[in-house]
Formats: sequence, structure tokens, C-alpha cells
Amino acid sequence: MMNNFSIAVKNLKNNFSFYSLYLVSVAFVITIYFTFTSFSMNRVMLEKMSSDGRIESMCRVISVCLMIFVVFYMSYSNRFFLRRRTKELGIYALLGYRKSTMLSLLTFENILVCSGALAAGLVFGAILHKAIVYGITVLLNLTVDNSQIPFFNLKAIADTIRFILLVVFVMVLSNARFLLKSSLMDLVRFEKSAEKKLKFRKIPALSGFLFIIGGYGLALDIFRGTHSIWMTFGFYPTGLLTFLLIAFGTVFFINSFLPFAVQVSKQNKKSFYTDTKIITMPNFVYRIRSNARTLIMLTLLSAATLSISSVMALSMYYPIAAVSRMAPSELEFRIEKESQVDNIKGLVSEYASADQVTFTQTDIFKVTAEADHLPMEYSVGTSKGDADNENILRTAGFECISYSQYIALLQAQNKEAVVKQLPVLNNDECILVKYQPNADGSDETGTVYQLDINGNITSLTVCETTLNNPISFANSIGTLIVSDSVYGQMKESLTPENRVLSINGKILEKNEDLYEAMKQALGDSPYFQGNSHRVHEIFSLNSSTFLLIGFLVVLFFIATGSILYFNNVSAITDSRADYEILDKMGYSEKKIKKIIRKQTRTFFFIPFCFGLLDSLFATIVYKTGLMQNLLGNRLSLYVPTLIAIALTALIYLIYYQLTVHSCCKTVLHR
Amino acid sequence: MATLLKAKEVTKIYAKAQRPSLNKVSFDVSEGEFIGIMGASGSGKTTLLNVLSTIDTPTDGDIWINGVNLRQLRGASAADFRRDNLGFIFQEYFLLDSLTIQENISVPLTLQKLPPKKIESMVRSLAEQFGIASQLNKYPNELSGGQRQRASAARAIVKKPSILFADQPTGALDSSSATELLHALQEANQELHTTILMVTHDSYAASFASRILIFKDGRIIKELCKRKDDRREFYESVMAEISRLDTER
Repeated sequence: MMNNFSIAVKNLKNNFSFYSLYLVSVAFVITIYFTFTSFSMNRVMLEKMSSDGRIESMCRVISVCLMIFVVFYMSYSNRFFLRRRTKELGIYALLGYRKSTMLSLLTFENILVCSGALAAGLVFGAILHKAIVYGITVLLNLTVDNSQIPFFNLKAIADTIRFILLVVFVMVLSNARFLLKSSLMDLVRFEKSAEKKLKFRKIPALSGFLFIIGGYGLALDIFRGTHSIWMTFGFYPTGLLTFLLIAFGTVFFINSFLPFAVQVSKQNKKSFYTDTKIITMPNFVYRIRSNARTLIMLTLLSAATLSISSVMALSMYYPIAAVSRMAPSELEFRIEKESQVDNIKGLVSEYASADQVTFTQTDIFKVTAEADHLPMEYSVGTSKGDADNENILRTAGFECISYSQYIALLQAQNKEAVVKQLPVLNNDECILVKYQPNADGSDETGTVYQLDINGNITSLTVCETTLNNPISFANSIGTLIVSDSVYGQMKESLTPENRVLSINGKILEKNEDLYEAMKQALGDSPYFQGNSHRVHEIFSLNSSTFLLIGFLVVLFFIATGSILYFNNVSAITDSRADYEILDKMGYSEKKIKKIIRKQTRTFFFIPFCFGLLDSLFATIVYKTGLMQNLLGNRLSLYVPTLIAIALTALIYLIYYQLTVHSCCKTVLHR
Repeated sequence: MATLLKAKEVTKIYAKAQRPSLNKVSFDVSEGEFIGIMGASGSGKTTLLNVLSTIDTPTDGDIWINGVNLRQLRGASAADFRRDNLGFIFQEYFLLDSLTIQENISVPLTLQKLPPKKIESMVRSLAEQFGIASQLNKYPNELSGGQRQRASAARAIVKKPSILFADQPTGALDSSSATELLHALQEANQELHTTILMVTHDSYAASFASRILIFKDGRIIKELCKRKDDRREFYESVMAEISRLDTER
């Protein structure tokens, strides 16, 4: 007599190909979970990475998200496999199996799959954890005693096993509920139950379309700056409204608008009566009936995944890109004592020879000015409340440097392209360096400033504004580039406000030792800036956040991809008879593959496209509404977002190919 | 009449140790004939239908349809051949659930790349002939078994195939639906001159054919021909033959 356990083993063996992806995806999920748990229990690393407990608290939040997500994902796939096996359960019921016996059979199977996945997950998780630790130590230049970090963290293993047991328990409960609720008739006839007839309702269809357009329109409205709804009604209420419009819009759009649109487009007989469309279009409408909920969930999930990854990529990349403005030279400091110049030059010469480095000294003259409207840079930082460092208040005024000094600095900073674009500066003209573009989109070009050079009033017209500041904001803000002759006048009658030494040279990049030595020599001066050092600092501060959210994003991807895979393979397997009939009617293998590809593509395309659009609009809103605008609207800023999107597209493509391959194998295998 | 299908010593062996499913079967079908194939389960009827319709390949022997040797057809060319020459009806109807009846019947015509207007008019006239014109916009699961099978027959006939293969088409139908379908097939045979090859267990269904081949153990053991176009008389002779074979078992 075969017992439950051996039936369970036999079932798994016979359906290995069907279960293998389930097993792999659960193993994947457990790998991520175990890696994360090991990481969050890795005291050595956490202490190295932050001292204020910020990472610990973030770990706690993310671990809750992870747990909810793993429970959701595993019960979804469990439910999915249960549905596929209702007929089999029906046969057991007909043979006289009690529901409790069936439940224990399912539980045995679940335990087997989860144990296999757990074993794989622990091994791969431990390897991944080690790899991540190694990656971070290299990236952040940490010195970590690797012998203190065990390959298997026993506490993390215990924690993971406990959690997986909990998940299995949740699945047993959900299976028990399913079995109790279904009658024998339900079980036997479950797979054959006719689909509900889809009603094509105009109003929800139209509102789906309008909501989405409204949501996106509202997102774009943020470009109107101070006049936008976002500013008038407040950022967060408008954000919530946009979110709700898009979320509900997506629901109606998929539920009602898409089937409605396909139904209407069937009226175009010329395009409908073709050998593939006559199959794929009705099939799409038919599948939407039973799959709308899954599709909506996947769409929202991929929108969230893509938005998080692109916003994260942007917020990681932006400060690094902004370093080119915060510290344009590799090293730069304010000369407060004459002796500092020789001291520092001596220090630098220990690391680089004279021909590898350029020293550029700039004398900055401060002048007051009058005009109808003075730019915000003229007076920024002069009062408490708007200064970064309230202990060092600046006096209002333009800080002037000469045209030739500007060019020399840009050249030293390797910004030849900017130099080429520079206009020739007449004596009555100047270039204004902006801190950030004006929020209302206006520009000072053409404005006349009456500079007071020691009692002599000189009128200068702004011929151009620029974001390419040659000196860090720590040393000069409201920088005005004047012609060499006007600068000569200043030199004769004024004493410089500041003198700044900028040091450039490729050889100095990423030299933390030199930075530390200079910092010490300058007595921790707040006017000392280092480009590579700043980048390094940002990496150290953000990498943990990036990494932790990365765990979530990877998990989302696995879930979305696997759900799409299961859903499509099962839909195609269910309609295997349809493809047999097409084959007999004379559809070639090529055409059948084309139909399968088209059907599968739609289901991948919808979540991806919506995800893409949602994330683009979310990124625009985030960038415009919540981020500083030091770099203006440079397209290069969106490069990381594009990379995030390209990676997502690649992952979708891999899953899509995998799905099509499995579907074709199922259908064309005779 | 010209020979449409010629089978010469067709043999099909699935596994070496087993006896052949088809054992050197030879027969001809002329254009416009309505052939019935009868025999007990396992006698080789379905195997015959599979090899005749290019779904399977015989181990030995040759089959010609419309002068084309099926042995020369592979993959895409076999598919094209099915598209242009063959029609199918099955016991389980095999209509595509997601398509309306109108769309289901249109599929073979879209495969032939006919213009939409022509497709619609052909579908409509055939649907009227098969008594399902009022059901065209419904989905298969909204129709009765008989209506579904008539839709399935319409789909098979609409492209005017050289030969129509019907695999126990009345197997799942009640008697009146079965009769309606058989009359429809007979009409198609007589008016549209569609050649039909129908596998059936049912002597009543077989009596609509003009000639019946009876199979046993992969061979044709008897051939019955209808005389004077009298279906009732033919039915009785089929019944007599079947019961004689039963007693011989």
C-alpha cells in the first residue's frame, strides 16, 4: 500500500519539469532572504558601514517587507499549482480519499519542495552573502577581518528555517481552506468550468483611459513650476491624487479598456481577418476575463519595481554627478596663510611630479552691485536660515574672477568642451555662474548690473549664464566672470576677498592619503574640497541603502517574472488542444510559434510598458519636485534611469524567451 | 470518377515487438465518394486517419492524395498541404473556445488569405446551410453539442477541402443531433461534392456513406457498397455484417 509520502515523492518525480521552475524560483527567493538575513546579522560589516544604527533600522524595515513579500509570493504560487491539480485531487476524492488525507499529501509535497529549495537557498545565499561582503569591502576600501564572518551564520540559518516553516504553515492553512470550500463536483469539474462572459462596458473603459491620462497629465504639470497644481495644492496631496489616479486608472484600463479596445478594433476587418490575429485578438479578450486581477497585480508590481529602481538610480547618481559642481577641482582650498601654499605644494610633490599637476591660484574680488533685480546667488547665505553652515555667514555681493582665470581653471579641470563654447567677453559684459537654474525657467542673460568698484560704477551686461562653476561653492558663490581689463581695475583698487588654490591632475584622483594629509595641514578648514574624496564619501553613505533596496528590487523581479511564466505556461498548456487543431488545419509550426509569441508578448508587454511609463513619470516628479537642481535638466542625468530600465527590459526579455520556449515545447511536443 | 486518394500497402508499426497497427492496407477513394470506416477499438481506424492526414507517417507503403505522395511532405510542406487539401471533424468538436462561431469558421479561410468580405459571405452561406446562422456571434460554450458539431463541420467544409476526415463525429451527440449532422454531411457530399472519409462505431452513421471499409487487426476485412441509394437497406446490411463479425470474434 502506497502511503501519502511515497505518492508525494512520485508526484514530484513525474512532474519534475513542471515543478522545476517552482523549485528554482522558491530557491531564488530563499537565497535572497537568507543573504539578507545573514547580512543584517553581520555585526562586523554593519559596524564598519555605519555607526549611528541607521542601517540596522533600515534592515528591520526591509526585512518586514521581505517577509510579507515572500509569504505573498509563495502562497500565490502554491495556489496556482493547487488550481492546476484540482482534477487530480478530484480523482483522489472519487477514489475515497478524505480531505484530511489529501491535505497531508499536499503538505508532504510542499515540505519536500521547500526543503529542497531551502537547502539550495542556504548554500547560494551563503555564497552570495560572501560575494556582497567582498564587493562592499573593495568598493568602500574597508579593512575587514574575513575570519570573523562565518560562511554559514547559524543564527541566520535558524531564522530562515523558522520563517520557511511559518510560510509552509500558512500554505497548509490556505490549502485546507481551499479543500474545505470545494465540493467533489467543484474538484472534478474545476478546470472545465466555463469562463464568465465578458461584458464590454463603455464607462469603466473610458474612465480607465481618462484616469491614466489625467494621472500622467498631473505628473507633467509639475514642469509649470511655481504655477503648477503641485505648488498650489501642495506636493504630497497632489502626489497622492496622481498615485490614486494612476493606480485606479491601471485597474480600469486593464479590466475594461483593453478588452473594449480590442473588441472595437476587431471591426477593422481587414486587419482582423488574418491567420494570426483572428486567433490572438479573441484569445486576449478571453484570457483577460480570468487573468485581469493577476495582470493588474503584475503591472502595479512592475511599476513599483521600476519606479523604485529608477528613482534609486537617480538619487544615487545625482549627488555623484553634482560633485562636479560642489568640488570642480580635484583639490581646492582657501589660502588663509601665505605659508600654506608652499606647505601644500610640498605635500603634493610627495605624490606627484610637477609636470603631472597644475596649481591655479585665483584671487576673488567681492563687489556690491545694483540692478532692477539681483539674482538669488547675490545674497544667498547672508542670513541665518538659508546658509548651509550658519556659523559662516557671507556678505552679499558678486565674487568676481577674470575671464582668463576662468579659462585656465576649466582647462585644468579638463573641461575643454566648455571652453570651446565660451563667448568672447567684451569689457562691458560678464558671465554669471548660477547655483541652480531659476525655478520659473527665467534667465538673467541681458540684465545689467551696476558694479561698485571702490566708488567707480561700472555697468556690465550678463551675456551668458552658466552652471559650470570653476570654484567650489564653499569658496565662491555668486561668481561673476568679468573681462580681464575690468578685473585689472578691481585688482588696482581692491584687496581680494579670498584667494583660492585649485590643484588638478589625473594622478591625484582617488588619493585618500593625500587628502587626509592636506586636511591635517589645513587644520580641518571648511574651505578645503576634494572631488574624489567627495565621491568616495557619497559611495560610503549610500551604498548600504542601495544594497538593501537592491534586495527588494531583485525579489520583485523574480516574482514578476515567475508569475508571468507560470501564468503563460499554464494558459498555453490548458489550450493545448487548440494548437493541435490549428496544426491539423494547416498552421505550420512557424505560425503556431508566432501565435504563441504574440499571446505571450502581450502579457509581458502590458506590465512592462505600464511599469515603464509609471516609472518615467514618477522619476520626473521626483527629480523636479524633491531634488535639488544643481545640474539643470541635463539628459545625462537620466542615464542611470535608462540603465535601470534597460536592465529591467533585459530581465523581462530573458523571462519572455524562457516562457515562449516552455510554451512551444509544451504545444509542439508530440 | 478520378481517384483522389490511393493507399498502397500502408503499414504502421509503433513498437518493434508489437503487431502492426496497420498491416499492408491498400484501397482507393474516388472524388466525391463518402467512405465509412468501421471496426472495433484497436482495429487501426484512428491510425489510418492519422497517416492519411499527414499527422503521422507510415512505417511502410505509400499514400497519394490529389497525386501528391504524402511521403514527400515534411513540416511546413505538410502544413501547407493540410491547409489546402484537408478538412477535419472530431468527436470532441475542438472549436476554439475564445473565438465566436463566426470566427471559428473563418479561421481556415484567413489561412488561405481570402479577403474579409469573401470570408464573411462564405461563412454566412455555409452557416445557413448548416442551420447555425443565428448562432454566429455566440461562443462555443453557449451552444448545444449538436450545434457545436455542425459549426465544426462548417469550419471543415468552408475551405472546400479535397477530402474531409471525420473522426467519430456523432460520438458525443444525441440521436436527433447526430441525424442532423449526418444529413448536413450528406448534403455537402452531394451538393458540394466534398469527398468524405468518416470513422465511426455507429452503423446508423455509417449507413450515410456510399461505401464502408471494415477494419480488424490493422487490415481491411470487408468492404460494403451501397446499392440503389437506399440508406435503410444499406443500414440493415451493415447491421447484419457487424453482428456476423461479432459472432465470429
